[in-house]
Amino acid sequence: MTETSAAERPADVLDLYRRDAGLSHGDLWLRYFELGGMSNALELEAILCGALRPSVHDREVIAHALNERFVELGRNHPVPYSQSDTYWPREKNGQT
Amino acid sequence: MVAIRLAPERGAGGGDTEVTAAIDFLGQFAVTVGFLKTRPVVAIRGQADRVNALELGAILDAVIARHLFVVLDLSELDFINGWGLGVIAARASRLRRSGGTLTIRSPSAMVLRMLDTTGLAELVRLEHPDPSLWRLGAEQSIEIAEAPATEPYVLVSQIARITAIPADNDVVDGALRLVVALARVTVGGADGVSVSLRRHGRLATVAASDQTISAMDASQYATGEGPCVDASVKGRWFHAESLDTETRWPAFTPRAQALGINAILSSPLLAAERPVGALNIYSRSAMAFAPKDQELAAVFAAETSLVLTSAGVDVTDEQLSRRRSEALGTRRVIAQAEGVIMEREGVEADDAYSLLCDYSRRSSRPFRERAEDVVASTRRLRIDPVSRPGESDHD
Repeated sequence: MTETSAAERPADVLDLYRRDAGLSHGDLWLRYFELGGMSNALELEAILCGALRPSVHDREVIAHALNERFVELGRNHPVPYSQSDTYWPREKNGQT
Repeated sequence: MVAIRLAPERGAGGGDTEVTAAIDFLGQFAVTVGFLKTRPVVAIRGQADRVNALELGAILDAVIARHLFVVLDLSELDFINGWGLGVIAARASRLRRSGGTLTIRSPSAMVLRMLDTTGLAELVRLEHPDPSLWRLGAEQSIEIAEAPATEPYVLVSQIARITAIPADNDVVDGALRLVVALARVTVGGADGVSVSLRRHGRLATVAASDQTISAMDASQYATGEGPCVDASVKGRWFHAESLDTETRWPAFTPRAQALGINAILSSPLLAAERPVGALNIYSRSAMAFAPKDQELAAVFAAETSLVLTSAGVDVTDEQLSRRRSEALGTRRVIAQAEGVIMEREGVEADDAYSLLCDYSRRSSRPFRERAEDVVASTRRLRIDPVSRPGESDHD
């Protein structure tokens, strides 16, 4: 699911978001786990500091965990998702 | 700036003497230290802000090192912000602990109001304050609300400076009163502000901009409902845009309306990421809080949370354990919802998750609620025997 990538700079950005959201590593992990994340706390920390590269799915769960926190604090989804905004098939395909 | 001399001039013959301790090049800030008999009188002229805080602090420190009873003359002070107040609060607190007194002489109405709402007034002795300027209620109109000229975000980030002193409850309360005062003058639409904090197992108002606002909080504690209570317990933001259409708090809402309030914004306060209270902003006008004001309230709450965290305000293991159980419950519901979507849409697990995620984001509702919707929708389908051939689980 994850692979080593020392050059993965966007992970640093994720950690900045974590700090901005006022979450400790432990608290973000609990939220990530709650939303279905599969990595353990140490792996998540490694992803946040750029030592591990997250899968697309993991990246999405982390972004959503952070965004839910930002929404709770009155801010609007500042963390970008890995998927485009037009993913929803009904809109994409124009069918029900 | 000239050298500081901090003892009465010898041979002054008992009259007043004065030493210029600091002056800036633009003449916007000057501190003079005079002596009335043996008592030092520190007079600040101009602006006590970030630029001058260090100098002002150094001068006050030097005076306080030699004298227990110090007079601070603010009659020529034009402007003061969080930095200036922080400097004075720290020295007033230190003098008080050593058995001395800081007397503040001739504060303007604005300064008096800030001293009052930040709780600094309790740490100092005020000389000749006009009683009519005290306790300006929400219905009074004396305007101190010219927002300080500096960026509010900068002001907010200075709050923690006050708690740089070892934190006891008095100091934390002082910082919270400063938060209330700053939020009151910087958040657009704010007619009143308060901070609620859980202490000894129950919520209490630690700082409020006036008595009406204290009464508003008390109504929420009494009814056990309201945005302040919810934000304090659930650790998330609650915004009642207009109480006319508000349905979430039926017992509390009429009480708030009776006090003339029409909009409320409560942001959670966290210590070590656990909810411990709320920053509550009240307005007489519906739809009073623009997005930028909501954002500013969020920043105030975040900074206040840092203060509370560093002060060690914390919560119990019981709350942590409850939180873990909740997380497991949510995870289970999400897994169920993923299964439902995989079946319905004919997609893989990751795609099902993305659909759910997108669904939650677009509706701005928490993931858990959306997952619960999806799972609940299967109950309606179950009535149709075609969807579950061979199975009949009607009770």
